[in-house]
Amino acid sequence: MHIQDGTLSTPVCLAAGAISIGAVGYCLRQMRDSLADRTVPLTGMMASLIFAGQMINFPIGLPVSGHLMGGVLAATILGPWAGCVAITLVLFVQWALFSDGGLISLGANVLHMGVIGAIGGYAVMSTVRKLLGGGYRGTVAGSVVAAWLSVLAASALFCAELRLSHSPTNFAFGSLFALTVTLHALIGIGEALITGFAVSAIFQQRPDLVYGSGVEPASRARVAEVGRFLGAGLVVALAVGAFLSPFASSMPDGLEAVAEKFSLPTSDDPVSGFFADYDRIPVSASNWESVSVSVAGIGGTLVVFALALLLGFVQPRRQTTLAEATRE
Amino acid sequence: MSNFWDRYGRSVSPCHRLPPVLKIVLAVSIIVAGVAIPIEFWPAYGVLGCVVFAGHSIARVPMSYLIKRLLIFLPFILGMAVSLPLSQGFERGWDLMLTILFRGLLSFLVSLWLVNVMPFEQLLVTLRRLRMPVVFVAILAFMYRYVFVIWDELDKMRLAWKTRSFGRGGLLFRWMTLARMLGMLLIRSLGRAERIHGAMRARGWDGQVRWLDDR
Repeated sequence: MHIQDGTLSTPVCLAAGAISIGAVGYCLRQMRDSLADRTVPLTGMMASLIFAGQMINFPIGLPVSGHLMGGVLAATILGPWAGCVAITLVLFVQWALFSDGGLISLGANVLHMGVIGAIGGYAVMSTVRKLLGGGYRGTVAGSVVAAWLSVLAASALFCAELRLSHSPTNFAFGSLFALTVTLHALIGIGEALITGFAVSAIFQQRPDLVYGSGVEPASRARVAEVGRFLGAGLVVALAVGAFLSPFASSMPDGLEAVAEKFSLPTSDDPVSGFFADYDRIPVSASNWESVSVSVAGIGGTLVVFALALLLGFVQPRRQTTLAEATRE
Repeated sequence: MSNFWDRYGRSVSPCHRLPPVLKIVLAVSIIVAGVAIPIEFWPAYGVLGCVVFAGHSIARVPMSYLIKRLLIFLPFILGMAVSLPLSQGFERGWDLMLTILFRGLLSFLVSLWLVNVMPFEQLLVTLRRLRMPVVFVAILAFMYRYVFVIWDELDKMRLAWKTRSFGRGGLLFRWMTLARMLGMLLIRSLGRAERIHGAMRARGWDGQVRWLDDR
């Protein structure tokens, strides 16, 4: 998952590093006020936890397995500032001890997972939470949506950085963007699931651990709630639209060329009967880019919506009352 | 388990005896050189590769260890590198793929060398001397102290889960269990952090990091 040295050009890495240093510096200053002397134990423990949590392998039915990135999870518990610092330290340790990710590209990795993952993710999470009126529902649904969007945003940013790093004559940007974002729309579902389940488990046991969990629902009215959920959906849809808009204009060239090259015999050929079905392949291949991205975008949005609904609204009654009872 | 990370960091060799700052400077300059040299001068990569290999053999890092780490690392960078020509229909992007592979491999091996000639506590002290923010170094030291504790706890939870479920159940169910496990781990470790914080307060911790060699 991490960007290695050499993938991005040095100027791009330095620019990303400069942004990251600024952001992390700002986070440190914010933390000085809010966490004070709890900074070291709390952030350190969270960073170790994310680090250890990445050792849990989630089976995906294939020989490979996925693991958590944790930006949104950290921000949900610690808040955006300490969450970003925790992720930064995790990334540093991963470089320093596991050689995972690079030294020069450390800034880029922090930008992707710390700044976008934790700070951006928290912004999305708290927006959705507010729109849903806080509480269990809002927090879990918000973290699910934020986790998915953070993965998608990081992959989109990675493509943009790759485009800035290498001359555009070398490769077709549009199709790379399509491939990467499609893949990450799927990976993001995993991240969203893990984050959602984990946050839901924490919220049931210790709602006080969740950062800003004191947000009280503004209104109990059903209709208003549905309206809020639609509002949250609009935010998500707009964000997805922002990602997908670049492709509307980009021309599919790389794969189209292949499609032309391998375009199969026309109907005059004697074998056409045999290949009849394959005639459709060039057509679909030339549209592959836009189709796949749209499918990834729409499918991913739907799945994440369903997840947010499922996790947020199917609320285990008994445990919540228990938690409430202990709070009183 | 404590030698799991910087496994050969405490062995003895000329490389280990180098001044800590020099080790970091050496590693950084080789990484920067590897990234800065354009692919047209590919023989330079070979030279740098030989230097790194020599460094590893002087530091007595076993070949089997290097290969093991490479096997874990290669699939990731291969996946990222191959996605370039793949997205271009295997027509273009090969040169870019090779660049990414070479540079990534070089920087990986150099980082691995740095880890294995330098124990983590030495790295921390050096980072502090290089004017890294004090809070950062303190949190890193805290991480190094407690990540093994959390790992052990995670291992216990995983063992408990395995003995009860034999790894059965549907995919979604397993995900749910694992994510719950993560949530429980989080609750437990944050509880531990609160206790540690209390203990630190009891011993006079006021949020100010002090080191033994401070004036």
